[in-house]
Amino acid sequence: MNRKISIRMSGLGGQGVVTAAHILGVATTLEGLVSTVNPFFGAEKRLAPAESYVRISSSQIDERGEVLYPNIIMIFHPHVITLGKCYTMPFFDGLQPEGILIINSEQPLDLSKEDLTKLGQLNARLFYLPATQIATQVAETELSTNIAMLGGLVGVTRLVSVEAIRESLAERFGGRKFLASATTAALDDVLKSKFAQVTQLVDRNMEVVHKASEAVQEYFIKKKEAGSLCMLR
Amino acid sequence: MNKNLFKISPGFEDIMPAEYRELVHDGPYGKNLGVSDLGTFKELLEEHPLCAGCGLALSLRLILASLPNPEDTIIVGSTGCSSLAFPQVGVHNIHSLFGNQNAVASGLKRALKLRFPEKTKDVVAIAGDGATADIGLDMVMHSWFRRENIATIMLDNEAYANTGGQESGMSPQGTVLYMAPKGKKFPKISLPEIAREVGCAYVAVGSPAQPRPLEKMVRRTILVAREIGPTYLQVFCPCPTNYKFKPQETVAKIKQREKEGTFQTREYITLEAQKLLTKLEEGKK
Amino acid sequence: MIEQKIVEPEYLFFQADREEVFITGSEALKEAIKRANVDMAISYPITPQSESMHLVGDLYVEGYVREYFRGENEFAVMSAVAGASMGGVRVFTATGGPGTLRAFEIFPAWAGARVPVVCAFMTRGVNSPLSIQPDTIEMAFMLHTGIVMFHAETAQDLYDMLLKAFVIAEKPDVHIPVGVFADGFFVTHTREKVKIDPAEIKLPPYNPYSSPVPVMDMENVPVRHMRDPFVMKSNFISYAAHASWQQEILAAAERARKHIHKYLGGLVETENEEAEILIIASGTAVSQSREAIALACQEGLNAGLVKIKSIRPFPEEEIRKLTQKAKAVIVPEFNRVGWLCKEIKSVVEDNTKVVGGPRVFGGMTMPPHLILAEIRRCSQ
Repeated sequence: MNRKISIRMSGLGGQGVVTAAHILGVATTLEGLVSTVNPFFGAEKRLAPAESYVRISSSQIDERGEVLYPNIIMIFHPHVITLGKCYTMPFFDGLQPEGILIINSEQPLDLSKEDLTKLGQLNARLFYLPATQIATQVAETELSTNIAMLGGLVGVTRLVSVEAIRESLAERFGGRKFLASATTAALDDVLKSKFAQVTQLVDRNMEVVHKASEAVQEYFIKKKEAGSLCMLR
Repeated sequence: MNKNLFKISPGFEDIMPAEYRELVHDGPYGKNLGVSDLGTFKELLEEHPLCAGCGLALSLRLILASLPNPEDTIIVGSTGCSSLAFPQVGVHNIHSLFGNQNAVASGLKRALKLRFPEKTKDVVAIAGDGATADIGLDMVMHSWFRRENIATIMLDNEAYANTGGQESGMSPQGTVLYMAPKGKKFPKISLPEIAREVGCAYVAVGSPAQPRPLEKMVRRTILVAREIGPTYLQVFCPCPTNYKFKPQETVAKIKQREKEGTFQTREYITLEAQKLLTKLEEGKK
Repeated sequence: MIEQKIVEPEYLFFQADREEVFITGSEALKEAIKRANVDMAISYPITPQSESMHLVGDLYVEGYVREYFRGENEFAVMSAVAGASMGGVRVFTATGGPGTLRAFEIFPAWAGARVPVVCAFMTRGVNSPLSIQPDTIEMAFMLHTGIVMFHAETAQDLYDMLLKAFVIAEKPDVHIPVGVFADGFFVTHTREKVKIDPAEIKLPPYNPYSSPVPVMDMENVPVRHMRDPFVMKSNFISYAAHASWQQEILAAAERARKHIHKYLGGLVETENEEAEILIIASGTAVSQSREAIALACQEGLNAGLVKIKSIRPFPEEEIRKLTQKAKAVIVPEFNRVGWLCKEIKSVVEDNTKVVGGPRVFGGMTMPPHLILAEIRRCSQ
């Protein structure tokens, strides 16, 4: 990879956007790439808007802070779009041409004609993934929604290998003590208590990754009649 | 402190200031002296720039003569009249800022515990009523909440005297002072009772009108702080300059207030502190 | 306490084999304090600093720090820190933004008392309405407090500067506080690669008797300073005493320069400094500038970079020399007032060539494209 890939993850507090960014960042560094990860939170509150950013490159990354011009946008909850629970409006603001959008929703959202027109002009690729549903079914906890979203990303881009994600997950939940925020630390303990052992936790979540990577579906934005979508597969 | 530390090197006696020579030869360090020995030793505070008849200066002199352990006592002061006297005091003392004396003392005491785990180092916060009950009240009370091993002594002259005589939280209700031109609207803060409620192991109110009882209170304040937890001593030391009475009437003023019932000496001692004091005071006899 | 081997600072800074880890700025701070042989740390929460002092709390539990507690507010914490330092221990704390201003009265008092406190400032906005987002405006307030100020660009800087800050602050000819400033969120919460020393080594302990002022422990002579304190006097002796002490604090910061050269490799770092267009910045504005310079390069535009690491003492001579040939000097900043631009303008000979901006504030990320636009404009 010669260019830099910038990812913006938008979700609600407690959904794990910070953790997802962390796991992705570690995974990419395990594969020898350069990565920086940073969250941008206001007050640490569950269900309040939360965003985090991952930059991935093969060479030194200097730029920091918010990702203003993302190549990939991951939306962890429909409310980010439908209720505007987002720091960035519209939700795809700054998306680069040929950019990728992955949205956690069981059904395609009723996006405005204007939004679809703009996305069409950008040649954006739009993906939907029932991430929360997969997390609940496979890992039996909504807390794995973020892992499902990573699975979706793996399914769409192959930015990182599944093995690297596994290693990163193991480090995150089983390895040395790490920190994102005090609230995240508290949620970690909740998650750990749901699984008897770390290996089991990792295995379950890897199952989520696999399922999600297969379940992610692309929706084609018809340019001529923007506003209507058809499923690719 | 090892007494050898401040001994004068042979041959240099004659060039050292007389003040210093006197402190070395006749100072109170390690001699276990008290108020009744005044006049027989070089005091920790003698000459000072405070007003004639200053109740605070008299109190400070008595407090310093009552220290149970002057050779290992560090005082944290604050801004105000007392801060003018402290540069003259012959034990280590800190002036940091206005009102932060108990916060500074908290850090200092913990530092000295780390450095000298085997030694007794008494940390005493001595400040005026403005520094203790007004601007520094949060830090005073939090040092009590945290159960810091520091002794807190308030020199209560019932006003901001160093800035020219303004009302403080400790001024009696109705007093006309600067910034209370129509008289103070609320009563004197009952800090001794607050101290008792928040868990000071020993609380006392005294005055320089009774030097021996005051000495006992100072010693108890420091000894209980050393062993158990926070202690508080409030010393009533009226201000002739700002309360406009004659310098020679300071002690009479205290007695008059006592008669009126607007000043009462008192002690609040927890059971734990009482046990300790009984043990220590019987041991001394 | 955990057993760690005491090594010479030079070994820890320059020779020990370092491991590369992927951590946040807050975690980098923890790693620095772990190796700094800190006796006491006092904490108080404020975003975006809190995580840092949580982690120092973990060090206390793990046995790397001997004493730790939460104070009641920043002014009280900074006061307790002063008391601890005067009592002769190595002490650390951290704050940021409104916490810095809440404690503000103490900073000149720290310098005046010559306590070698090291404090991390995780900068953030101080305005009303409430903001918790990154902004370096508090540094404008701190410029004249007498403390030494370093500004970290990355988590690596934060790690290195903190460790070096203890050594520089405690030099007998310096012995004044050192503040290490890091931009909130952009450094504290950003995860990146940081090279750290083995956890088994640490700095030598603080020797309180190297202090140029007496340690308040009653283990040295309790001198009586004077019969009449200077605050009483309006006369020449009083003026002279206060003026000379202020000069001495300034001189102590000046004497820090040689140590900054030795340990930090200078007060500034430069890249392509011969270019006609120079960007001068500190903190994460440097990172954004690097990105802008790379973008400019793709367009065939040539711009150089000066990164200021030490804000106090300020690299006056360095800046004066570096800007002599430059056609334009661009100063991007994460604050409204442009304090760095003012500092630079005060030393550049022809300061009409200094461009005050771009500036972002209120918490937003500075788009490198804004800096690029200035480079383009200055290239015309």
